[in-house]
Parts: sequence; structure tokens; C-alpha cells
Amino acid sequence: MSTPNCLRCLVRPSAGIPVSGPMSRTATTATPIAALPLTRTLTAPFSTTAASNAAPRRAFQPAASTKGHSRVGKKLQLGKFKKDRVAERGRVPQPGERKAYRKRITLSNDNAIPVPWLTDLAPADMTAAENTARVLALPEEVQDQLRAGEAFKTTQCWGMFRKPAVLVRKETVNLANQMQESADNRKTLRLVVTGDKVAGKSMMLLQAMAHAHLNNWIVINLPEAHEITTASTEYAPIPNTDPVQYMQPVYVLKLIHAIKRANEQVLSKTYTIQAHPELPQNIPSNTPLLALANVAKEADGAWPVFQALWNELTAQKANRPPILLCLDGLAHAMKVSDYRSPSFERIHSHDLALVRLFTDALGGGVQFPAGGAVLAATSRNNAPRAPSMELALAQREAEARRGAGAAGVEVPQKDPFFRGYDDRVEAVLRSVRVLRVAGVDKLEARALMEYWAASGMLRATVDEKTVTEKWTLAGSGVLGEMERAALLTMRI
Amino acid sequence: MTSPAHFLRLCLRPSRRVPNLRAAAIQQSILRRPLSTTQWRSAAADDSANKNEVQEEIDEEFGNPGEFLRKFLRDESITEEERGLATRMLEDWRQVPPNKQAQFDRLTTEVNEASADLRRPVRAKRNSFWNAEEVDSDLITDEIGEDDFEEDDMMAMGHAKLEEHREFREYARIAVWEMPLLSKLAKPFQPPTQEEILRFRYTTYLGEFHPADRKVVVEFCPTDMPGLTAAQQLKLKKLAGPRYNPEKDIIKMSCERFEHQAQNKRYLGDLVDKMVATAKDPTDMFEDLPLDTRHHKFKPKLKFPRDWYLTEQRKTQLEAQRKQALLLDEEKRTEGALIDGVDTIQQALLAAKVEEPVPVLRGRLIRGRR
Repeated sequence: MSTPNCLRCLVRPSAGIPVSGPMSRTATTATPIAALPLTRTLTAPFSTTAASNAAPRRAFQPAASTKGHSRVGKKLQLGKFKKDRVAERGRVPQPGERKAYRKRITLSNDNAIPVPWLTDLAPADMTAAENTARVLALPEEVQDQLRAGEAFKTTQCWGMFRKPAVLVRKETVNLANQMQESADNRKTLRLVVTGDKVAGKSMMLLQAMAHAHLNNWIVINLPEAHEITTASTEYAPIPNTDPVQYMQPVYVLKLIHAIKRANEQVLSKTYTIQAHPELPQNIPSNTPLLALANVAKEADGAWPVFQALWNELTAQKANRPPILLCLDGLAHAMKVSDYRSPSFERIHSHDLALVRLFTDALGGGVQFPAGGAVLAATSRNNAPRAPSMELALAQREAEARRGAGAAGVEVPQKDPFFRGYDDRVEAVLRSVRVLRVAGVDKLEARALMEYWAASGMLRATVDEKTVTEKWTLAGSGVLGEMERAALLTMRI
Repeated sequence: MTSPAHFLRLCLRPSRRVPNLRAAAIQQSILRRPLSTTQWRSAAADDSANKNEVQEEIDEEFGNPGEFLRKFLRDESITEEERGLATRMLEDWRQVPPNKQAQFDRLTTEVNEASADLRRPVRAKRNSFWNAEEVDSDLITDEIGEDDFEEDDMMAMGHAKLEEHREFREYARIAVWEMPLLSKLAKPFQPPTQEEILRFRYTTYLGEFHPADRKVVVEFCPTDMPGLTAAQQLKLKKLAGPRYNPEKDIIKMSCERFEHQAQNKRYLGDLVDKMVATAKDPTDMFEDLPLDTRHHKFKPKLKFPRDWYLTEQRKTQLEAQRKQALLLDEEKRTEGALIDGVDTIQQALLAAKVEEPVPVLRGRLIRGRR
């Protein structure tokens, strides 16, 4: 006669009988300790405590007095091997590692198919109108220069293709021609790139920088205005300034390094015209500007070095290459910054020396000796309201259209009962040109999509139907939306 | 001068039964509130005062005119003339034969007794459920005996229905025959002239009292004002402040300060005159102040874009564009220049050298899992 219940199931492990059963080979190696009867003394193979101190573990200790709870010492253990398992979390990231991962720029993808017809940009390519609606690659050295100047953004899709390439648009040709014209006439182009969200404003700046690098200009790029004005970097008042201006030594040091790396070739061929005895390292005249830039080793002396560099670059009647000065996220530079003065009042962005340097140049206060360009791009993603800037840009645009002979264009006027306007911003933007970046046309869209398909990133036949579909989905060819519609979807 | 009618009234006074009045008063108070959630209360203090007055008036009852005239003559305050007249009337009464006098007395008693039930006040029954016995005045019949069929006529309900029908027909007749005659009274619309630039709006509640019926609203366009220069018109708009509507270019003001419509209208008229006079005053033209339109929200007028209409011309244009696009595709296809993403990937995979798979030790994998 068999018992209705298995007797072995009624036996507790504490009774001293080992629980046996079918076990896999891996499990036998993994769980010998848990499988052992718990009443046995466990000795650690390596231990730093003395043997006498290490008391043997007891699974069940009978209560000292009858008063105690009858079940004391018994624990509810839900998982059999739970106690011995250590959750593997992998390596914990080092401080700053996550941010580095977030901010990293990947410029090539070995899995992408190389596009056979892709040619590198030549110095005059962007000014030629016949290159409109062509995708051209950035040469290796320009890639390095742009990377040093932080021209690439994490939001752009560089990491999907074999090598970075840009679409030459009508606006690109327009901008490059304006830059070239101003450099030829030794004048300074002052221009603000504006447009809708993800329309390619930052890309327009990048193309301008690429053009400048290709033509041996000196490029100074302030990649994000919010890094300067949102009180995220150190600042200090500059002595002997009235009204007080503020320098940002750490940021400026970083900027000098970026300028140095991006313009190494040009700076080494440009020489100082005056001595700079006030710097930590004496710089006599006729020294390469690269040596002057190299003087900045620490944040403490960075601002005087930058000032000396800027004075040398803008020195009149000197032999200088054209200069391109760029800033992205203009709205942040056109508001009251988050920094506080010693009397705890908020500092206007234009009182920060670096921003003032840029706004002076944008407002026409600085003449570059060999001409050049001051470009700014607005941002639609991370942008505070800057009513004066918005109004000024709308006014400049309307004036330009009226100047071009468009009928019935009304220049928007200030609202007399609104308080938020800023006179300093208006003064800066009184005479700038405005370049509006809108959607691409279908020809350009087709060129871009052919590039995507040839790189193996768009699994579709690029015919007129597909192009029109994506172009329409992207709100009449807004480039970022086209990327979202065609490139960034996981439809395989 | 005492008239015989006065005496007749005096004589009839004994038959005037004030309890009737009281009954009517009580009935009225009940009718005033057919449904009430509050408990029924006895009459208020002023009601009781009235009742006392009534009681004083009817404290004496007279069986015949002789009794009344005797009582009247006992009064000291009457004039000689009245006294003479009353004396003569009493003599006449005494000459009436006694059986006739007794008859008169009997008649009075009979009338009093017969009308006692009618004069009894109607009280709400104490145990009634929501005054169910109460007469409903909203029904088309009086509901009394309406279900009794006497075999000589229609039922009361039928009569009521016919009456209702007659009423409808009466109004229909009015609508057909009399209403068109009103068109004779109609006046042709006269557009306001150059002088009539103020548009007034009044409100009537058709004779009922309403707190808003005194309100008058005036609207006018500042550019219609005669004899104002552009600067003065602008100043007028600035004076009007939030009462100026920049979208319609109209100033709208209202007044309900005074008790009568006419007063309010007069005030508004005076105010407009004053504003125009101030606008014409050249001492301060408010040139430093811009016109404030913050009170007004401009409504954007959204229109279907003209370019989006599919006209015939646009259709042919689109057709041509599509044909050209198809031609371009076909041309590229024959040239082999049409780029296919999938095809490109396939070719790239074929062209790529396939690497030999590298064997990996299994033990490492196991350790990795642990």
C-alpha cells in the first residue's frame, strides 16, 4: 500500500537529510552550498576574521525560554537560491561617462555602404549654383577642423553614413556666395539664420564653417549660446571696466583650444603685429598667432590671451585671413543671463565679455581687416522667448522683402504697451541680414534620398512617388522631418 | 347733502353678510398658494386687525327697517335734516300693517337660514392628502359631474374640446384676416442720414418691470463724426478707451445709471457731445500716447488659401508635373540610374567578402552566464 503523500516531501531540510533530486550539470556546480544541509558548519575558504571569531551559522536555534515565540529563528525564504545570488549590474559608469556618451559625435558607420559617386567638397563648390541639389562629402581635414570647433551636433545623423556628407541647398549657395562676396570686398557679412524647427539652421552654420575652412578662413565657433549664459560656467568681473563686464575663464580656455585646433594651419601662417608683454609668456611681434594661442594653459590667464588674440585678429591694416564668427542658439545671447552680479542682480548677456564680443561684431561694431562673416543661428528647441529678437528678425525680413519689390509687405511694429523689449538687443539686430531656412524643394529632397538609399539606409526605390510622399510627410520638405519620416524609422 | 341712495344703502345694511367676505378672504389666501411646503398658519397680525374692524361693523343685526331707524334716531351725531327724514320714514314703517311687518321679519330669518351654508367659510380639510379635493383651475372643464352622462348632450370634456377648437380658430381668423391689415401701418426702411450717426438700443420687456429696461446703449463710428480731423478722431478713440472696438472701428457705450430710459439716453447724448468737444480741444492731443487696443482680442480670419483651390488650370498644371515626374523616373529606369535601397544592400552584401566564422570556446560562455 502506498502512502498518498510522498514522505520525502514532508521532510524538512533542517532535519539533516539532504534534499536530493535531479539536477543539471551546471546547477551542481552553482549550488553546492545551498544544497547542503544548513546545520553543517560552513567555513569560508578565504577569510580575514579569526577562526574563533567566526561563529558557525545556525539555521535553527531553539528558543532560550518558553516565553519566546514558537517560530523564532524560522525565516520565510521564497527563493531557494536567492540569498547567494548577487545581482550582476555590470560596470558602473565613471563620473562624466554618461555625459560623454550622450555628447559623443560619431562621424562614420562602417556598416553603411560607401556611395560611389560621392565627391569631396572643393573650396569653390558651395558657391557654384550648379552644385545645388548635390550631396558632397566633407574632406578629412575639414572633418577634423569642424569637430574641433564643435560644429557637429548630436542630433544630426552623421553616424549613419560611411563618411559625413552635406546636401548643397539653394540657401547654402546663397550664403556661401554672400560670404565670398563680403570677403572679396573686405567687408563683414552680418547675418542671422532663422527658420522652423529642424529646418537645418545649424547645418547651414556647419556648411558656412566648412566653406570657410576650405577657403582658409579663421573660424571661431561658439557652439551653443546657452553654455555661456545659463550660469553653467565660471565667471569673474573684469577689472577696470565700466559698466562691469564679466569674463568666463574656463569657457574661454576651452574656446582658445578649439580655435587653435580648428585653425592650426592658418594661425601658424599669421603673425602678430605687436608685442604682448602683459601675457604670462612674453610674445614679441611677428610671432605666429598659434604661439600666442598656445600661451593659454590655465583658466586664470585665458581671458587676456583671448583678448590679445582677438585684438591681433581684428588689427586693421594687418595681413589677416578672413574671419568667420559663428554662434548657435542666438536667443540665449539676447536675454538677461542667469549670472548674478555682486549685488545679486541678474547680468545682461551683453555684459558678459564673450557675448559682447560677438554682439559687437554682429551689430557692426567690429571691422575684420580682410573681411569675413558673423553668423548667428536661432534655435527652436531650447530657446527662451526673446521678443526683441523675434521682432527685429521679422522686421529685417519684411524690410528685405519690401526692398526686393514685394508689394503689400508690412513691417511689423513694436507693441507700445508691451514691456519685454530690450533696447540693447534691438541695437545689435538693427542692420543684420536674415536668411530664412525653409523646406527643401523636391529636387534637393530627391538628391538626399538617393544618397540615403545608396548608403543602404533607405530601403525603397527612390522614385518620384517616394520622394513626394516623404516630402509631403515632412511638411513641404523640412529636412529634419524628412529624416524622421524616411531615415530614422525602423521599418525594414 | 344726503341722498335717498344713502338711506337705501343704510337700510340694506342689515342684509349685508360680512361672514361672506371673510369666507372669500380665506379662500383667496388658500388659492394664492395652491402648493406649499410650509405648514398652514393662521392669519397674521394685520389680518386680525381687519377682522376686528369687520366685527365692529357687524356687532348689531337688524331684523327690519323699523329697528334700524329707531337705532339711527338714537344716535346724537346725525344732522337735523337726517333726523327729520328718518322720523318720516319711521312713521311710514309704523303705518305698514303688522302682518306685513311680521312677514318681513320672517323673510329675513328665512334668507339668513337658507344662506347659512353658503356663508360658512371653506376650510382646508385637516386630513386631506395634498389638498386633493381642491378645485383645479387649470383644467379645461371644472371636473364636476363631467363623467355623468345624461343622454341628452355631449360630455363636458367634448364641450371643452370644442371650446378649445373655437379658440384656435379665432386666432387663426385673426392671423388670416386682421394681421395682414397691419402691413398698412408698415413704414419703409429709411437708412440713417449723415446727421443720424448715433445708434441707440433700448430694451423693453413688453410692459413688465425689469431692472434692465432702463438701459440704453449707444454706438457710433468716430470717423462718421462731422467736422473732426484725423488727429481729433484719433483722440476721440483714445478718449473712449476700452469702449473702442478697433476691429469694427466703433465706440459703444451704455448707461443704466438713471431711473428712466429717457434720462439715460440724455446722459449718453450729452456724454458724446462732451467727448467730441474734448477731442476738438487742441490743448492736449494725446500725441505721446499710442492707441491702446489691449482690451480687444483680434480674431484672425482664417480663409481657405486661394492657391489651394483646385481650378482647371491648377489641375492641368499638376497633371503636367506628374507626367514629367513619371517620364523622369522612366528615363532613369531605362538608364539604370534609379536607385533602389534594397537592391543596393543586396549587391553590397554579395560583393562583400564573407568571413569564416571564428569558433568561440563554450566554457567562456558558461562562465559568462554565471
